[in-house]
Amino acid sequence: MTKLGQWLCGLALLGSAWAALALAPPGLRLPAPYRQALLPLPVYLLVAFGCYSLATVGYRLATFNDCEEAAAELQEHISAARADLRRRGLRF
Amino acid sequence: QATATDQVVGFGLVAFSLVLFVYYTLWIIILPFIDSNHGIHRYFLPREYAVIIPVVAGLLLVLFIGVFIMVVMWKSRKPAKKSD
Repeated sequence: MTKLGQWLCGLALLGSAWAALALAPPGLRLPAPYRQALLPLPVYLLVAFGCYSLATVGYRLATFNDCEEAAAELQEHISAARADLRRRGLRF
Repeated sequence: QATATDQVVGFGLVAFSLVLFVYYTLWIIILPFIDSNHGIHRYFLPREYAVIIPVVAGLLLVLFIGVFIMVVMWKSRKPAKKSD
C-alpha cells in the first residue's frame, strides 16, 4: 500500500468513527459535554495541524544555518565528476 | 546563518502558534466540562465562533493564495508575450 493509501485509509477510519459518534444513534448517545467537545473535533484537529506546521516553519526559520559539510561534499562530487568527464575526453 | 530578524520572526511564529494551540484547546476540549456559570466563560466567544472563525480564516487564506498565484502568473506571462 502506498503512503497516500495509508493516509486515506486512516483518515477514512477516523472520519467514520467520528461520524458514527456525531450522528448519535440511540444506543451511542454521549453525555452533553462530550458531545460538545466531539462535534468540532475535525476543525480542532485541522487547527492543531496548522499550529504544528506554523511552529515547525518558525523554528526552522529561527535556527536556519549554513550547511558547511554538505557544501564540502558537493564540491567533492563536482570535482569527481569533472575528473571523470575529463578522463573520458570531454573538454569544458 | 539566521539573522536577528529571522530569529525574532521565527520564534514569534512559534510563540504565536503555541498560544493559539493552547487557547483553542481550552476553548474546544476543556470548556464543555466546566460549569457554564464559571467566570472563565467570559474570556471565550460563544461556541459557534470556534468553527466559524477557522473556516472563514481558511477561506480567506485560500482566496489570498489564489489571488497571489494569479497575479504572479499574470505578471510573468506579459514579458513572454512581448518576446514572441
